[in-house]
Amino acid sequence: MELMTNAALYQYLALGAVLFAIGLVGFMSRRNMIMIFLSTEIMFQGVAINLIAFARYHLNADGQSFVIFLLSVAAAEASLALALVVLLYRRRQTLNIDAWSEMQG
Amino acid sequence: MDCTLLIAVALGALGVFLLLPRAQASWRKLGALITVLVGGGGLFYLSRWAELQESAAPAGGLSLYFYIFAAIAVGSALAVISHPKPLYAALYFVILTLATSALLLTLYAEFIAIVLIVIYAGAILVTYVFVIMLASTPGGAPAAEYDKVSADPLIAVLVSFLLLATVLQLMFHVSGPGSPGFMNTNTGLHARALMAANLGYHLPQFSGIKTPAVGGMAVLGRNLYSHYALSLELAGVLLTVAMVGAVVISRKNEPPAALGSGELPTE
Repeated sequence: MELMTNAALYQYLALGAVLFAIGLVGFMSRRNMIMIFLSTEIMFQGVAINLIAFARYHLNADGQSFVIFLLSVAAAEASLALALVVLLYRRRQTLNIDAWSEMQG
Repeated sequence: MDCTLLIAVALGALGVFLLLPRAQASWRKLGALITVLVGGGGLFYLSRWAELQESAAPAGGLSLYFYIFAAIAVGSALAVISHPKPLYAALYFVILTLATSALLLTLYAEFIAIVLIVIYAGAILVTYVFVIMLASTPGGAPAAEYDKVSADPLIAVLVSFLLLATVLQLMFHVSGPGSPGFMNTNTGLHARALMAANLGYHLPQFSGIKTPAVGGMAVLGRNLYSHYALSLELAGVLLTVAMVGAVVISRKNEPPAALGSGELPTE
């Protein structure tokens, strides 16, 4: 195993940033509730790449441990979000997020 | 001041803006073309930049696999956010997950790579596909109107790519090569090697530091169960709570007829 160079680290960080930005675009522009939550998963993947790249750079297992927690939080988030989507779909028979735009505090 | 990065990000923003679902489908092809050009150019620029850094301070090799899987990951991520049909978007997300786990393999995170496939492609994506099938129009129907036209694409693209431009500008120009903070000559290499040796990694090029050869998975397991043992338990609690919550939320809200009436059913 060789030590990672700064240039290699920066490449992975740039990729993570690009994936995060793409996920953010999807999160804000899609109108389907399922697609909104799928976009958050793209953002999770970008962050996971960043954490693993730093773990590799510092040869430290902390980053990998954080990704384990990130994955469990992502799984919890996905299950709760999809349960909410099913609930909301039953009420209005549509996945359009605009159907709930009059919702207030 | 070097504006290449900003121009590339702006062009990428234009491409993604055109690529997003919209009423006129022909614009999407132009958007895809621009995005592919910008993505390819960006990867080429990144590889040239990395080669330049390598020639300044050679250490380790740059992996060709990074560029291949980075291209696949970014392309499939764009397909996820721009495909009008949710089921196809979910399938593109599987490709994104596979590309990401390949990238993690290039970072010697073999356990996380496998876990990513098992949890994302195996568990989370199956749940998504089930919900998509549960809550969509019967087969053969065209995509719904709210999937064909995206909401506020201009604001979404502006905000996201402004963030991306800031991050990349900070990385490559402010703290990048040439600034005193950038470790262009790989300073701290020996310190990092010592730290790695303490963790049990084997570094052949630092023959002065004797370490046992230990794989990444053993190191991860030791770290997880010594430093983060309590957090690991809490993660288990979190998953249990989320599971109970999901069951409670998605339960049908019908009055339990058989229970609580206090009477036995009569013939």
